[in-house]
Amino acid sequence: MIQCKTSKAISGMGHSMKRKEDIRFIQGRGHYVDDIKLDGMLYMDITRSPYAYAKIKNIDISEAMKVPGVVAVITGKDLEKYNLHWMPTIMSDTQMVLPTDTVMYQAQEVAAVIATSRYAARDGREAVKVEYEPMQALVDPFKAMDPSSPVLRTDKPGKTDNHIWHWEAGDKAKTEKVFSEAAVVVKEQMHIPRIHVSSIETCGCVADYDKINNHLTMYMTTQAPHVLRTVFALVAGHVGLTEEKIRVVSPDIGGGFGGKVPVYPGYVIAIAVSFLVGKPVKWIEDRSENLQADSFARDYHITAEMAGTKEGKILATRFKVLADHGYTDAAANPSKYPAGLFSIATGSYDYGTAFVEADAVYTNKPPGGVAYRCSFRVTEAVHAIERMTDRYALEIGKDPAQLRMDNFIKKEDFPWHSPTGWIYDSGDYHAGLQKAMDVVGYADLRKEQVEKRAKGELMGIGISTFTEIVGAGPSKDFDILGIKMFDSAEIRVHPTGKAIARFGTKSQGQGHETTYAQIIAEELGIPAENIQVEEGDTDTAPYGLGTYASRSTPTAGAAAAVAARKLRDKARKIAAYLLEVSEDDLEWEPGKFFVKGAPEKVKTIQELVFAAYTNFPQGMEAGFEATHYYDPPNLTFPSGAYICVVDIDKETGGIHVRRFVAIDDCGHIINPMIVQGQVHGGLTQGIAPAMYEELIYDEAGNILNGTLMDYLVPTAVESPKWETGHVVTPSPHHPIGAKGVGESPTVGSPPAIANAIIDALSPFGITHLDIPITPFKVWKALKEKGAYGK
Amino acid sequence: MNTTITKSFHVENSIEDVWANLTNPEKVVVCVPGASLTEKVDDNNYKGGVELKFGPVKASYGGLITFTERDPVAHKMTLKGTGTDSKGKGSAEMVMTGNLTQKDNGTDVNVSMEVSIAGMLAQFGSRLINDVSNHVFDQFVSNFKAQLSGQEVDSSLSAGSMVGSVIKGIFGGKKS
Repeated sequence: MIQCKTSKAISGMGHSMKRKEDIRFIQGRGHYVDDIKLDGMLYMDITRSPYAYAKIKNIDISEAMKVPGVVAVITGKDLEKYNLHWMPTIMSDTQMVLPTDTVMYQAQEVAAVIATSRYAARDGREAVKVEYEPMQALVDPFKAMDPSSPVLRTDKPGKTDNHIWHWEAGDKAKTEKVFSEAAVVVKEQMHIPRIHVSSIETCGCVADYDKINNHLTMYMTTQAPHVLRTVFALVAGHVGLTEEKIRVVSPDIGGGFGGKVPVYPGYVIAIAVSFLVGKPVKWIEDRSENLQADSFARDYHITAEMAGTKEGKILATRFKVLADHGYTDAAANPSKYPAGLFSIATGSYDYGTAFVEADAVYTNKPPGGVAYRCSFRVTEAVHAIERMTDRYALEIGKDPAQLRMDNFIKKEDFPWHSPTGWIYDSGDYHAGLQKAMDVVGYADLRKEQVEKRAKGELMGIGISTFTEIVGAGPSKDFDILGIKMFDSAEIRVHPTGKAIARFGTKSQGQGHETTYAQIIAEELGIPAENIQVEEGDTDTAPYGLGTYASRSTPTAGAAAAVAARKLRDKARKIAAYLLEVSEDDLEWEPGKFFVKGAPEKVKTIQELVFAAYTNFPQGMEAGFEATHYYDPPNLTFPSGAYICVVDIDKETGGIHVRRFVAIDDCGHIINPMIVQGQVHGGLTQGIAPAMYEELIYDEAGNILNGTLMDYLVPTAVESPKWETGHVVTPSPHHPIGAKGVGESPTVGSPPAIANAIIDALSPFGITHLDIPITPFKVWKALKEKGAYGK
Repeated sequence: MNTTITKSFHVENSIEDVWANLTNPEKVVVCVPGASLTEKVDDNNYKGGVELKFGPVKASYGGLITFTERDPVAHKMTLKGTGTDSKGKGSAEMVMTGNLTQKDNGTDVNVSMEVSIAGMLAQFGSRLINDVSNHVFDQFVSNFKAQLSGQEVDSSLSAGSMVGSVIKGIFGGKKS
């Protein structure tokens, strides 16, 4: 299906080249932040609050200071002297670095212990005595919205409630009119639960402040090193740490998934301590700290409604959201989109109107709202629309596949203007679903289902035909803290024709070292294996906004293609000079220019690069390098058609995923093997919230599953066999027609699983269950509906 | 993390004897496994401590025990204990209500215990809290009965037997 323009030796786009980075990873030679050991390095551990909401009456550090090896204990009062006890969040809210008087969630940082070894730091942490006066925590977001509830953010002058922001998109009046006149209206209250990214590597850093040169090197687990350097300069500029004095280095990262975008207090404390003591300070979270205190994802309570005709034409959707952000809005969204890209909420369907609105609220829970392997809240939108599409089909008794086919945006209608203001670039939704139905054998499965139902067996088929919205983003709409969301590539080709390319993004396992090299190989004809890719060092890489929201290929990948084309133009000039012909007489084939009609008159790219250093035309600038900062004209809109088949054991509620077919459209594919790996990983992280994961808090704000003993992250054992495939509709505005794929499967798969389970249970009158749909939830629902007799 | 457990039992002692023990902190507190009295503040308030073990997690709560109600006519009492872990890892609160009624030649004792725990123990022990509380309560009842029949009370906490009992509870189909 995929046609390659380059030879295997060059390995441009479409080749399943093995990942260059895997040579070190599979030999245990990756270099992660915890592998960094510096002379005189100290270790930091953090004392955390056992309460979700409490006044700090006293912090007694005397016992901790007696622990052998402990050199300092830092509290909020210490940071307050330097005005470093608060910091801004990416969403322009404020967050405590260390508290001076109140803790706002369980596991919040309270004091930092600095010691000569990690063990001493941990012992010291246990010896810090904190006297608290617990207060009644506000945990339920609906209760927190109640005007009679106490105000949590008393640090904000004049704040009289717990409301953070209200945001809306679409046409309210028009939508209400359609709803009031529609023959069929379906409605469900749903919760997309609070979950955690649980990457294999937890967060950590080594802050290394050099007093002599007034220079900070910050080795850290971050998906966005450049933006963080700017944030650090904004936070610490007043104590002399200005941006040119800060170097952020993001080494190999063991998974980010959005959880390594925010600035966590631990990073800032480590910087402050290194600054104060003049020595490197290492801080590495343990597994429970990572789960309990780092940014959560999702936690949207959605009232979802869909209106349509009796025959199955969707007319309108209306979604009302309550977003629980914990005690501060520490989400990672573009500035103008407090609810991220939730307004993509019309999905893959062609209908006239929609209205979405969201309110955000403070509670006594950890802060965040990161986009866990998704483009800024698109997962929540996709879940609502795909669940409601099935709900509507169920209501009118129509096959959900047919209903989708009847409502899809047609291939010829792209670019398509959505009622909430997005311009979809390209897609062929009919082809995608048809392919998925063919692979899974849809018609036969429906027949089998009828037979099974007659025997009292539970089998369900669930579909999700979703549209993603990625590649943030165009500078006219997208910025973080005012910085436009472009991304960058810098290519330097050495005289012998080998290259180094540097990017503003940062891979956390996506395979950038391979895919970026393949993009450049495609455009320049230099073999991908001769192109070294570097990211993550702000001293060397060009400024960029980082890797999250499936933006690397749409932005930095595009920058690489454009920069490579600038170099190809230069190569053409040199070729014309060397071959003594006009530029117009030259023809390009990956790796060489030759004279039209005289293919023996040829110069390879290696010869042309060498000439750029040794024999270039008079007046031409020497060297062979180019940089490009790419500002995307639009977002890209990958899509997918997923079908899931489940069998449910009626007696136990046990759910077995029998089949899962995922047909993705991510535009032109750079490396099919890497795409398949991305899809497998993403689907597994989709089954996680659908069937297993949820962070649970009791009414006092205690997290009840704060370890991986209780918080079930699916492993290979829980993962079904994934069947993958593709439809390709290239993005018309992207230089190489690519769209981004890393997140599609995480975004699109949860509703396919939920829809399959509900489809199995629908004969009992069950129309909706909130994810994660566990065996217990299924069994309870069946029992309530009288499935086991009275 | 909250759990409420109610237990009723019958003893052969007179209601006045039972009432005297139930409302005497020096008698009633020692029946709670792991609990100890350290200081009398006044007639209604005492200082003391409780030690709890959930497998590897040990918490030792020091705090205040208060009789908020002692009604000798209705034979009803309420005892409230609040404590914080000595290392700042969390806190526990227990409200125990006791109600006595004369029955035949003895006394019916109705005791309920509402326990709420915050902090580390709530995080790690959420699945066990009900069973552990139940076990603690069972031990309290047997200690209280033993005390009424004049026997010496062992108020020490046996973590091993507690875990064993919890496991038996989980796998033995015990309704808690």
